[in-house]
Amino acid sequence: MNSLSSISENVSVGCEKAPYQRVRVIEHEIFAHRTRRIRIECPEIASRALPGQFVMLRIPDRNDPLLARPLAVYDTHTHLERDRTSSFSFDCLDLVYLIHGKFTTALEQIKVGDELITWGPLGNGFSLPDVDHLLLVAGGIGQTALLAFAKECLGVKRFGNPFRPATLSRRTTLCWGARTGSFFGGIEDFTSSGVDVHLATLDGSTGIQGTVIDLLNAIPPSLLDRTHIACCGPEPMMAAVGAWATHHSLTCDVSLEAPMACGVGICFTCVAKVRDSTGSWDYRRTCVEGPVFRASSIDWD
Amino acid sequence: MPQRPLQNAPSSQSDESSCDLSVSLGRLKLPNPILVASGTFGYGREMAGYVAVGNLGGVVPKTITLSPRIGNHPWRTVETAAGLLNSIGLDNDGVVAFVEKQLPWLVACGAPVIVSIAGATTEEFVLLAKHLEGVPGIAALELNISCPNVSHGVDLGTDPLACRLVVEGVRAVSSLPLLAKLTPNVTSIATIARAAADGGADAVTLINTCLGLGVDWRRRKTLLGNGMGGLSGPAIKPIALRCVYQVRQAVTIPIIGAGGIMSVDDCMEFFVTGASAVQIGTANFAEPVISTRLLEALPAAVAQLGSSRLADIIGTLTLPGASATVPTIPSAQ
Ligand SMILES: Cc1cc2nc3c(=O)[nH]c(=O)nc-3n(C[C@H](O)[C@H](O)[C@H](O)COP(=O)(O)OP(=O)(O)OC[C@H]3O[C@@H](n4cnc5c(N)ncnc54)[C@H](O)[C@@H]3O)c2cc1C
Ligand SMILES: Cc1cc2nc3c(=O)[nH]c(=O)nc-3n(C[C@H](O)[C@H](O)[C@H](O)COP(=O)(O)O)c2cc1C
Ligand code: FES
Repeated sequence: MNSLSSISENVSVGCEKAPYQRVRVIEHEIFAHRTRRIRIECPEIASRALPGQFVMLRIPDRNDPLLARPLAVYDTHTHLERDRTSSFSFDCLDLVYLIHGKFTTALEQIKVGDELITWGPLGNGFSLPDVDHLLLVAGGIGQTALLAFAKECLGVKRFGNPFRPATLSRRTTLCWGARTGSFFGGIEDFTSSGVDVHLATLDGSTGIQGTVIDLLNAIPPSLLDRTHIACCGPEPMMAAVGAWATHHSLTCDVSLEAPMACGVGICFTCVAKVRDSTGSWDYRRTCVEGPVFRASSIDWD
Repeated sequence: MPQRPLQNAPSSQSDESSCDLSVSLGRLKLPNPILVASGTFGYGREMAGYVAVGNLGGVVPKTITLSPRIGNHPWRTVETAAGLLNSIGLDNDGVVAFVEKQLPWLVACGAPVIVSIAGATTEEFVLLAKHLEGVPGIAALELNISCPNVSHGVDLGTDPLACRLVVEGVRAVSSLPLLAKLTPNVTSIATIARAAADGGADAVTLINTCLGLGVDWRRRKTLLGNGMGGLSGPAIKPIALRCVYQVRQAVTIPIIGAGGIMSVDDCMEFFVTGASAVQIGTANFAEPVISTRLLEALPAAVAQLGSSRLADIIGTLTLPGASATVPTIPSAQ
């Protein structure tokens, strides 16, 4: 694996100031079935975070769970009683997680006022497309990587320190699939930002019965002019969306959810098969070179 | 030096700011005993935003091989109870790319660089050592004769004769201090350590990971893409301490301890048991800043034993059955 350029890029981000912090939980609430939103106070990280980036989160002073887990930057937030002299554009980070295994089960027990360990923001994030239509596709808990991007592309919010310039897309659509309707949480976060939301469930309890591919197929071709897709969800679903994009000659970026141990490029856990322009593949570390990749560059196996 | 009651630590001797943390591993002199373990710190530069890399006692970058290796199929790690199973498969770009692209940054950052090498045969180890001979900036070589993820057939780290021959072979072509990194997956680690010492190793690093397996019974599959893997983290600390304990009594060359170190207390346990230095491994993943934190906290812990020199506390463990006085441990040259 050969990844020098990305290492140096990433290190220059981290170098400015150690982004490793003990942070306080400000809010922790039920968001959807088995899904929680947690708000942590971390101005340095929140002000720098870009859509599609992630942070590592860990429960302090415990060896079990031992490692931090990556969680996508869902949104940033500003306290009302904020210090006006603060040089930070945001002071809180919102993360949304599905209660799933060891870490997330333990995280659910964390109370407002408790402390967590976090470092970030990490990864490359989504790059801004110059298009008329941003088509977001989420599967399961994958919407967490997409809200901030939608807000940025619609001009609702700006991210980065200094703010990165956004090229606004005129329309943004979210096609979101889940097993059953109770897993949908925060739909209004998208709709209130101006996103046109379409839902699909496998059991038909909410939206159409089917998958995101059925939702995509229902979009009139005339609406797919100058469209770019950003997608996050389970791998088979992202592979299918990537194939759909290719079939429709659309560019598609995916945010991979490879298991990670460190998040900073030192363990070589999080590799994905990525093809270069010559077509040969190499294992790339998704934490430093991703998690966002062009779908057509991924060898889905 | 006998242990003193903690509350009586005399301030003249235990002044934290004047604590001498320097380490002698035979010919290899290190500014302090906090090193980072191979495969758990990338090539160093990834950590520049978290750790003052140049202040570390030593950096052991990810093991390199003669030719590039693509590494194992994911999943490559899986968390277990207070531990981590890994099967990375020595994913690396090979020695040539390492010297060209990774080494210069590490050398420039100022910490002693201990290059970890692995070969499938003695010949490969020798070729690697030859390639690295004379390359500026390398403080020592660590021979990874213990990686559980690559052995096919002969396992150089589990057979005393094979282990001695590897060390001897490298010794013959390398002028650098040699550390032999050993696997705990043997019947007698003392025997292997003796073989490494006989072959000319300047020190031994104990331990590499413990062979383990993770299973997903619902899918009837192993969790790791490669089947078995190496267990690391707090779960293996007692095994690592046991290895240091046994080897300390078998050889006179210095020991570098590794295995589950997460705190200054863990470091001190290794020092007192007989390790002259320690390597921080999996803990770098859980807490990227840990090496700096431990380095800062170490003088206070050494002072708690009434000492102002780390060297004075190495191997001062009272062996069971021995009289209450501290056993005499052969000094590390
Ligand atoms: C960039 C990125 C962003 C992410 N963002 C979010 C987010 O916003 N919200 C969110 O909820 N999650 C997110 N995740 C996933 C998250 O990091 C955790 O993986 C997830 O929360 C489960 O952690 P856990 O400890 O609860 O489960 P774990 O106990 O780690 O594992 C859960 C299950 O995963 C499977 N598993 C674990 N290890 C292995 C293995 N080695 N082989 C096969 N199967 C295995 C097992 O079936 C296990 O039961 C993101 C991941 C990445 C990489
Ligand atoms: C993900 C991972 C990769 C590793 N890679 C190497 C390696 O390339 N070479 C090596 O000698 N040891 C390697 N090790 C072993 C560590 O260097 C160390 O000996 C071991 O993990 C025990 O220490 P720990 O419990 O503090 O992690 C690796 C360990 C882990 C967890
Ligand atoms: S998670 Fe450790 S290298 Fe990516």
